[in-house]
Amino acid sequence: LQVTFPQQASILNLSLCRATPSIQHPMWSTASINERQYRDMPTHGIGRWRHLLPKQASKKKKVRNQVKDLVSATDTAYGTLNVKVSGYDMTVVEHYSQYIHNLCNRLNIKVAESYALPTKSTEVLLMQEQGNKTFVDAVLKTHQRVVQLSSLNASLCPVFMDVILKNQPEGVQLSVQEHTEADYLLRFKARPELDGLIAQIYQ
Amino acid sequence: MAAPCRKMASRSFSRLLCYFSSTAVGSGACRRFSVTPIDRATPLGSTAADRATSPWSLMAAVCLQRLPVISADCSPIEQRFKQMLQQMELEKSLVSDHELRLLEDAEKMSRRQAADYDSDEEDRGDQEIMMTQDLEDTWEQRLKNFHPAPRVRGQWRRGLVKVRKSLGVKSTRTSPVSLPYSCLADVDEDLSSAQRCLADSLVLLAEQQVGAEKLWLLPQAAWQEGETLRQTAERALDSVTAAGVKATFLGNAPCGVYKYKLPKAARTEGSVGRKVFFFKAILADGAPGSAPTAPLLWVKKSELQEYLKPAYMTKVDRFILNL
Repeated sequence: LQVTFPQQASILNLSLCRATPSIQHPMWSTASINERQYRDMPTHGIGRWRHLLPKQASKKKKVRNQVKDLVSATDTAYGTLNVKVSGYDMTVVEHYSQYIHNLCNRLNIKVAESYALPTKSTEVLLMQEQGNKTFVDAVLKTHQRVVQLSSLNASLCPVFMDVILKNQPEGVQLSVQEHTEADYLLRFKARPELDGLIAQIYQ
Repeated sequence: MAAPCRKMASRSFSRLLCYFSSTAVGSGACRRFSVTPIDRATPLGSTAADRATSPWSLMAAVCLQRLPVISADCSPIEQRFKQMLQQMELEKSLVSDHELRLLEDAEKMSRRQAADYDSDEEDRGDQEIMMTQDLEDTWEQRLKNFHPAPRVRGQWRRGLVKVRKSLGVKSTRTSPVSLPYSCLADVDEDLSSAQRCLADSLVLLAEQQVGAEKLWLLPQAAWQEGETLRQTAERALDSVTAAGVKATFLGNAPCGVYKYKLPKAARTEGSVGRKVFFFKAILADGAPGSAPTAPLLWVKKSELQEYLKPAYMTKVDRFILNL
């Protein structure tokens, strides 16, 4: 008797459910995925997981060309240094600057920026063999790439310099200097109209 | 050894403006350098009270390196790989402007030579005075006239020399023949010359008196009161080499250390042994004016073992890079 009773109860329950699709059990009804469950449901919010992730910074559009502050030198580290690589062959210059950048990453030296300065074209004029006129013989383009290091540890400096020098390819000039405001302003193009207008104002 | 290290750390830094250029081999055998120290503040003096007397005396040594001047020869695998890459690049490449002009000119020539050539039909643009093929010929001519510098720098030496087959001269006589002009001495064998082995980096060794015996080691000098270890290293270099030699030190921090105890007979209460700190420097372009004061050697890393003592060699080996 006791065995049969729960069966009957369950059958009754089931029939109740099927007969009355109530608001209290919307999950048994044909609920689409977009309908949210009612908040009284014990399983309300059972699939929530985004609140468990760590907080991310808001996705604002990053300002591309931020002016980074100059790091000043301390007793144990150099300040902002510019490693400038220049040469006539662009592939070699670029590969070498990439090599320096990768070396810094590997040695945990913070690289502030890595940019290119405008290319300088040099025209080689040769004297003609017959006559006094010069003619354009060749156009040489000097490419420059800069890797800006934010701080270089003094104890790491000799090792870093040694490795760079020993791997310097042929035809490439290397220069390590401190970063100044003048170096930063070199990157900008001259604006002749603006300069002309300013000159007009002040004249 | 706390005291001198603290002293070193408290010194303010000299920032360097370094300019290294690896251009074509000019007159000197070394790369051209220019260094401008920007900020050299006066060093702070340390009080005598905070320096405990220690039984170890300090020395600083300089590891002067001459960087390679020319590129090293490729190994057979490298050569084959290089050829393969060049061939791949050639096959993937597109025709350049110059080559297009060459093809056009060749077409024009073939059209002119054809039987039914009508010069009025030809589109008379600006007739170029110089044909593209002539341009190429002039360039080839200039390339032939260009003679690169020899890969092995040498000094012409006079004297009795055997006529060697390597010179391309066949000799019928076996006895040495004195020639009116002399042959190129084998500079690679001359260990004291800084022009040897232009494809490798060399280290300077000097023979110095250490204790009772003369040893080959990196030039070193004892540290004195009131100077930094780097200044000691500079002094060591100046004392060993000639006056005109210019070297750029890579930093204020040492790259290696070697300590040794004095033999039991020489040990006293005050001195148990010595600690030698090594500083790296790069040889700048400069012809030495006068002869060096002590016998000098320029050796490659592989040849170091023959000259240095084993214990010293293990410590020095760690910071000399063979790249």
